[in-house]
Amino acid sequence: MADRVITYSEAINEAHTQEMERDPNVILFGENVSSSWRGATKGLKERFGRERVRDTPITETSFIGMGVGAAIRGLRPVVELMLVDFGLVAMDQILNQMAKSHYMSGGAVKVPMVLRAAYGAGTSSGATHSESLYSIFAHMPGMKVVLPSNPYDAKGLLITAIRDDNPVVFMEHRLLSRTKGPVPEEPYTVPFGVANLVREGSDVTIVVTGKMVGLAMEAADDLKKEASVEVIDPRTIVPLDEEAILNSVGKTGRLVVVDEDYERCGFSAEVAAIVAEKGFNNLKASVCRVATPNVPLPFNPTLEKQLLPDREKIARAIRNVMA
Amino acid sequence: MYKETKLNLYRSMVRIRTFENGCRKLISEGKLPARFGMYTGQEAVAAGVSAHLDKEDEIGSTHRPIGHLIAKGCSLNKLMAELCAKRTGFNKGKAGPYHTFDPESGSLGANGIVGGSVPMVAGYALAHQIKKDGGVAVSYFGEGASNQGGVQETLNLAACWELPLVFVCENSSPEVQRMLGHEIDYPQLSIERVSDRAAAYGMPGSSHDGWDVLKIFEVAGEAVRRAREGKGPTLLEFKVHQIEGNLEGRIEAEEDEKVWCPIHNLRQKLVADGTLTPEIDDKIRKEESVDVEEAITFALGSPEPEPIEAFDDVFVEGA
Ligand SMILES: Cc1ncc(C[n+]2csc(CCOP(=O)(O)OP(=O)(O)O)c2C)c(N)n1
Repeated sequence: MADRVITYSEAINEAHTQEMERDPNVILFGENVSSSWRGATKGLKERFGRERVRDTPITETSFIGMGVGAAIRGLRPVVELMLVDFGLVAMDQILNQMAKSHYMSGGAVKVPMVLRAAYGAGTSSGATHSESLYSIFAHMPGMKVVLPSNPYDAKGLLITAIRDDNPVVFMEHRLLSRTKGPVPEEPYTVPFGVANLVREGSDVTIVVTGKMVGLAMEAADDLKKEASVEVIDPRTIVPLDEEAILNSVGKTGRLVVVDEDYERCGFSAEVAAIVAEKGFNNLKASVCRVATPNVPLPFNPTLEKQLLPDREKIARAIRNVMA
Repeated sequence: MYKETKLNLYRSMVRIRTFENGCRKLISEGKLPARFGMYTGQEAVAAGVSAHLDKEDEIGSTHRPIGHLIAKGCSLNKLMAELCAKRTGFNKGKAGPYHTFDPESGSLGANGIVGGSVPMVAGYALAHQIKKDGGVAVSYFGEGASNQGGVQETLNLAACWELPLVFVCENSSPEVQRMLGHEIDYPQLSIERVSDRAAAYGMPGSSHDGWDVLKIFEVAGEAVRRAREGKGPTLLEFKVHQIEGNLEGRIEAEEDEKVWCPIHNLRQKLVADGTLTPEIDDKIRKEESVDVEEAITFALGSPEPEPIEAFDDVFVEGA
């Protein structure tokens, strides 16, 4: 059955369906989640009823906070943020309450909640509708952060996320929702903290997540006569599969990190720091980062494109570390 | 009410609708790289409210900003250029429809975050209060936004500090089919009227039809006067009905939508009382079409920003 091909949002929809079938404590809410034009959740209300699948008002603080509370009292809420940028309205509930309640309570309470959020640039929507922001969540101790790059991972990682006893931020790139890939019909899990070796190579390691994985693969193809490129998709940035990254750099000696989030203090800096600390002796060249510069994403499509990592910039980075 | 005031209200609404139809055409031709909420059918609210505002007063808007910005008197050329992502736009093509700011006309500004502009607008009002300059600020938001914590908090603080502020909630919920962010299977409001909340925060509030520009003009006038006199904020709610626009530049609503069309409603009244003759009507429409055409020509003929300009404006230079 592994041959069945469905889209990224269909895979997410199926993960919801199967987990809601399995566990009556799984509930879902967010803005317009019962709408028929939202692929990741459509049909769930009809199937599981309006008690378990609820449309919320446009009040991110209250409904994310309710997810935290419901999780503490034994439910397994999946809470949807229409776009991650809108989550900034609810910083306290996410970064204080959701992330830290378990620790601050000395383990007395747990928050088995999934915050699903669409993210990503490339639609010329300006700085409140284009950002990635996963580094903010990764920065705050207590939350796992998941970035599926394909339909197979999307389904397996979401099932893992729902079953995890910790808060998980599950980030779906808005431009991946229609991409297709093979997805088994039966429920399965993809473990957190285990990177996916997307392409084997011996000259350069690219660490890359989300929609950028596809671009890194294209760039690796473009340069296949010049460099043998290894592409690693960590799939979860918290927890991060450091070992896979360090082993790969041990083999190639060169590292490019591709990151759609802003560059400063972000995921790309984290990976570079880990390799500098723990794999320095293996490096044959400076680490090269291809991330979104520290500039709020502009509306103008040309300006936006100028800032975002793309195939050419990744290829240039590969050449840089090879030079 | 003066003849001239009525005609100005009519003109303001015609201008907004003509401009939005122009946007629709450019979008369909792929020349305007944005999607945004249209204001078609709601024109009376912005026109009726802004008729009481001076250049020094501010408005704060939403993801449905065109009417608010135009009624406040912003340049059509620079607005169209901004929507077309040109360097000659208000914000050099960086804002687009969701983040347009025009300090010159006090249009500060559109906002991509539902409820995001409301606290900021209270800040404009605070600045007037502290400078004692007699200015006021108007905060537009939808009924969906009205639930946001930031909006509720601002209602409270504005009342506590008696800020010179008018809250204008445009409620599309009762009249249209369920839309983005609106209830599908659960209500988003447990009361019929958003304005009922005003009393709980200690300010006057009232609800009115958003397709009756003369009524809007009247109640907004009272609220703005109250604010200017230092008596504090008011919450006005207008029921609105979004209607279809078109690519051909027609400002007439479809037959079945005419009851909600503020332009249609005002035209009937003004024809009946002799204010609007066919000649004046024709003149107003032509003039507004010419202005919108000019804005389109200006926008399409304007240069794109250079890619390197993406890096400008992150910080104030030399500060
Ligand atoms: C904080 C936030 N949440 C969600 C959205 C997505 N969104 C854009 S418009 C909209 C509906 C807004 O409804 P309302 O405030 O009633 O305004 P209307 O569209 O009816 O004019 C939603 C949910 C957003 N832009 N910002």
